[in-house]
Amino acid sequence: MNVPLSIAPVFRGRALATIGMCWLVVVGIAAIGAPLLAPFDPLEFDPLVRLSDPGWPHLFGTDHFGRDSLSRAIYGARMAIVIGSGSVLIALVAGGLVGMLSAYFVRLGHLLMRIVDVLMAFPALLLALVLMTLLERSVLNTVIVIGIVYATTTARIVFGMTLKLKRDVFVDAAICSGAGHASVLFRHILPNLVSPMLVQASFIFAFAQLQAAALDFLGLGLPPEVPSWGNMLSEERIYVTRAPWLLIFPGALIILSVFSMNLVGDALRDNIDPRFKDDIAGV
Amino acid sequence: MALLDIRNLELGIARGSELLPVVQGVSLAVEEDETLGIVGESGCGKSLTALAIMGLLEGTAVRIAGGTIHFQGRDLLALSPEERRRVMGAEMAMIFQEPMTSLNPVYRVGDQIREAILQHRSMSGRQAHQRALDLLELVRIPDPMRRIDSFPHQMSGGQRQRVMIAMALACDPKLLIADEPTTALDVTVQRDVLELIRSLQARTRMSVILISHDLGVVSETCDNVAVMYRGRIVEQAPTSTLFSNMSHPYTLGLLGSIPALDHDVEWLDAIPGRVPTLDEAVPGCAFHPRCFAAQGACRTVDPGAAAVSPAHFVRCHFPQGSSS
Amino acid sequence: MTRPLLEVRELKTHFSIGRRGFMRRKSVLRAVDGVSFSIHEGEVLSLVGESGCGKSTVGRTLTHLETATAGTAMLDGRDILNLSPAAFRPLRRDIQMIFQDPFASLNPRLSIEQMLAEPLFIHGLARDRSEARERIAATLELVGMDANSMSRYPHEFSGGQRQRIGIARVMILTPRLVIADEPVSALDVSIQAQVLNLIKRLQRESGMSMLFISHDLGAVRHISDRVAVMYGGRLVETGMKRQIFETPRHAYTQRLLASIPRLGKRIG
Repeated sequence: MNVPLSIAPVFRGRALATIGMCWLVVVGIAAIGAPLLAPFDPLEFDPLVRLSDPGWPHLFGTDHFGRDSLSRAIYGARMAIVIGSGSVLIALVAGGLVGMLSAYFVRLGHLLMRIVDVLMAFPALLLALVLMTLLERSVLNTVIVIGIVYATTTARIVFGMTLKLKRDVFVDAAICSGAGHASVLFRHILPNLVSPMLVQASFIFAFAQLQAAALDFLGLGLPPEVPSWGNMLSEERIYVTRAPWLLIFPGALIILSVFSMNLVGDALRDNIDPRFKDDIAGV
Repeated sequence: MALLDIRNLELGIARGSELLPVVQGVSLAVEEDETLGIVGESGCGKSLTALAIMGLLEGTAVRIAGGTIHFQGRDLLALSPEERRRVMGAEMAMIFQEPMTSLNPVYRVGDQIREAILQHRSMSGRQAHQRALDLLELVRIPDPMRRIDSFPHQMSGGQRQRVMIAMALACDPKLLIADEPTTALDVTVQRDVLELIRSLQARTRMSVILISHDLGVVSETCDNVAVMYRGRIVEQAPTSTLFSNMSHPYTLGLLGSIPALDHDVEWLDAIPGRVPTLDEAVPGCAFHPRCFAAQGACRTVDPGAAAVSPAHFVRCHFPQGSSS
Repeated sequence: MTRPLLEVRELKTHFSIGRRGFMRRKSVLRAVDGVSFSIHEGEVLSLVGESGCGKSTVGRTLTHLETATAGTAMLDGRDILNLSPAAFRPLRRDIQMIFQDPFASLNPRLSIEQMLAEPLFIHGLARDRSEARERIAATLELVGMDANSMSRYPHEFSGGQRQRIGIARVMILTPRLVIADEPVSALDVSIQAQVLNLIKRLQRESGMSMLFISHDLGAVRHISDRVAVMYGGRLVETGMKRQIFETPRHAYTQRLLASIPRLGKRIG
């Protein structure tokens, strides 16, 4: 049944997705409890212990400023969540509105969807790069840019799903009851888009991580002092031979998290309206 | 010996560790050249019975929980999947309700019929092509030379169903199972398809099981009729006997539900209530909550099949119309 | 005979079905191609025909779900086909539609109460929630449903019950004309009879007029006063029920009647 999207059946009999979910819970706890969990201040320099090996008290070692890698990784989880949720919010609201309105009002759709097509002609990373070069490096701008990039794919997907829903008989029935455009769109169509959009959100969340890491790595994402997994990779990349753990730990965190979100996304997708399964094929 | 002999077939749907019964104690026999009709509403188990005969339940949630299905004296349920596949298609064939979904939209109908032929016969491509043409002609598709190169979407619903029948006949089956073959078609087309099945049967002497929700269709085409309700055969008789002497309250209810065409009635004698879902266990006779004749025993004891006249069986404590 | 409630003259609904190739002319599907009929107060007119004959399009055009290409439909001396969507909206209360598929016609995300309250509030028939609930409960009982079912969702009901809910959504507005588009053909035989009886009873009790669109001639005979037979976008024969069923004049009507499988008859 596609009515209330409950969590239990989503993970029943899916060991991998369950493990993925558990990992995401760990990341979430790290993000929320960062100040309590982190053994050191992630920004504090300690020239005495530059590039120390993993061990006690620096479990993940230290970087070339002597900052504690574990603490930076824990605060990095916070950035991962902020970037992920922020981009998801922007992508779903902007993309969702554009997609829904375009499918419902055909003439408007001709215009809006052509713009979306143009934006989608750029590879996601290239589009993000272009936009980032126009803006200052900040957390907010990174979130906005990644949000816009994935708003385009979301708009396409929501456009397709709304076209299908618009032809549903219950929409005809609502019109016959006298429902106006706003009511049809937001009362009858939107609630049916919620669970597929939730699935879409989980994929955007995952890809936003990769996108943000890539921007950080290229020196265009978050300001360099902000502890994020991407920045950790970017800053320490020249020490790859001397202190490989400085790249291995954040790299592994990114891979694990993205993989987990994709697993959860797949599990969610198998529990939505079968008509929409083909619409959401990742971002 | 009957061509097909089903004894006490039991099917269940696996729900967790439980097996919810969907077909219970179904026994049917189909003689050579006979047409058996199975009538019932959705969920009564008529289609599942057909799928069980065809061995098409594998990979579904439905399990065979008991009984035997003898075809030409061999127990199909005891055969290995390999042997079974050889019997299927070569000896029996099935057509379905929706001819569009049963045909592959990207292949020409001629190719699909040829494929069906070559699966069971070894012959050259040219021979198979000729056979496909013959079959299209047999099922009365106009201009088969041209139609053989059509794609399914270029044909009407009636023509697609004829193509399905042609494919089913590709290997001269002894038994054809038709599951609601005309439900998706218009009445005028339905008439043609039913007449086609009838005439093909007269010509090839194959047996037919016709599954339908429509008493009229069954009445016009079948020799014997079995009425199913909630997984059980509740009444079974030769067609003429059944329609002159309906005994089970459910059969009577179905009849009362159909508006007459040649006279006016003020209100239809509808059966009250609805079919209970699989999860709702009904003690006693499964029909008693909707039955006008239900009495004490009906609520506790599931009636067995009893003969009200030779070859006319009813599963009811209080069969109606006790004439003859 | 009373004056007609609805008078349809030369109704045409054409669809353009895409261009065949670039720069070619669009091809046109003449789904409804010049149909005229009238429905009197309290009368049931059936529109029968086979799939693709355009009978459903007639109903969808009269409810503005499709746009008419030409023709008029006078309701109380006012042409409803040429009205703008905004001008037609208040009239929707008078012209309601029952849909075929009870599984598709109810929004899975809305409770029965939400679904039935919507038309009440749109047309200003209830001031607040308690007033709406009262009316919803009465209407649910009218269609043979328990008033407690209003807090439940469509997937909790069987096909027959859903169709009753669909009928409740129509009846709650006390419309003057109901267009019933194959209202029972998606239901099981025993449930069809219940719903047909219900529709007939509601029509009798409320005195509403009805356009009953169906391919099922048995249901048509059961419910209608007059019958119009449609073929290829046009009406081929219109007449009183008895005349159509007992002395059909048009060859197509005769063929249609002869095609229906009958009990106790046998082919071949």
